[in-house]
Amino acid sequence: MVKVYTIQSCPYCAKVKRYLKYKDVEFEELDIEKDPAAREACQKLTGMDWAVPVTTIDNETFVIDYDKEELDKLLCL
Amino acid sequence: MKEHIHKDVVIIGAGMAGLTAALYCGRMNLDTLVLENGLIGGQIANAVAIENYPGFVSVNGGDLVATVQQQAENFGAVIDEFDEIEKVTLKTTPKIIETQEKIYEADVVIIASGMNRRKLPLPEEKKFAGRGVHYCELCDGHAYDGKIIAVMGGGNAAVDAANFLTKYAKKLYLIHRSEFRADEVSQRRLRANDKVTIMLQTEIKALRGDKKLAAVEVFDKKTGETKTLAIDGIFVNIGVEPNTKLFKDELNLTANGRIPAGEDCKTEIAGVFAAGDVREKQIRQLTTAASDGTTAALLAEKYLAKLKEAK
Repeated sequence: MVKVYTIQSCPYCAKVKRYLKYKDVEFEELDIEKDPAAREACQKLTGMDWAVPVTTIDNETFVIDYDKEELDKLLCL
Repeated sequence: MKEHIHKDVVIIGAGMAGLTAALYCGRMNLDTLVLENGLIGGQIANAVAIENYPGFVSVNGGDLVATVQQQAENFGAVIDEFDEIEKVTLKTTPKIIETQEKIYEADVVIIASGMNRRKLPLPEEKKFAGRGVHYCELCDGHAYDGKIIAVMGGGNAAVDAANFLTKYAKKLYLIHRSEFRADEVSQRRLRANDKVTIMLQTEIKALRGDKKLAAVEVFDKKTGETKTLAIDGIFVNIGVEPNTKLFKDELNLTANGRIPAGEDCKTEIAGVFAAGDVREKQIRQLTTAASDGTTAALLAEKYLAKLKEAK
């Protein structure tokens, strides 16, 4: 399952979510502002204190920000 | 093989100029497509509170964008925010816009591609991007709750970002290499906040830290003094540059990369209009972007009517 780490106010998070919907990709959204465990998982994944949006499919490789080319590669779109 | 699609109007860019043009074109029953590969709303999508747009005491940028987008779509304009333009050919009839997925043939092109934010011009930028160097206060501001933040820049975007970030920061430095360009109201609000230290005529010379940003080295141009400020994060708002790379082989650009066009938004090519911040002009505001979008759309409709008559 694809996971997207987000926060509510971030316009790039919204764009990533719209892109995944446009491509019919099912995903789980994890709000790192509201969910401390998700924040910790996102920190562990990226090595960064704070980064959104972060998209991952395997909890190892990830894409930060809305980067269509990289998202396409990650998700084999 | 890419699909060929004809459109009356293709609008490049969905900032305030592009969305307003789309609203007007849609309302005039023109078959209208807007192509945007960044954020719908452009620079204002990130604005926390806009206080100088008529009709609103204060409005969130994202909310304003969503409303104008809705207006444009209600009148039939289509906005594609995922397909990316690869090439434009503007001197032909019709004009050709080739994207990753399609080839659009358009009778009119309205260029409203706006501006891109400048990155911090220091070699350490890459090392610290996302690790203390940030460009989106709405996305990353919360990470600095109770921490020391710097904002770099002196225009409205920088001062508004600083005002927003004071809700998180235990201390905030506003660092700018010259004098303020931001409006008086925003400046006053920032100066009135006890957490804020304003450092004008001050340049950031280097970023310091191991894995994460920990300090910036600043040079005070007035005193000639260099000092190190311990900070946790810096938000960069040092201006924008025109997004015109796509058009450099088709249109003559000004020395600073903008598109020369008068108040009628007409470029040197018939049927090609430039609207908003991408057009060379003296004043670049949200209101003037909306004004350009209106002008370009109304004159596009007149151009299309003549084109049909000639056929």
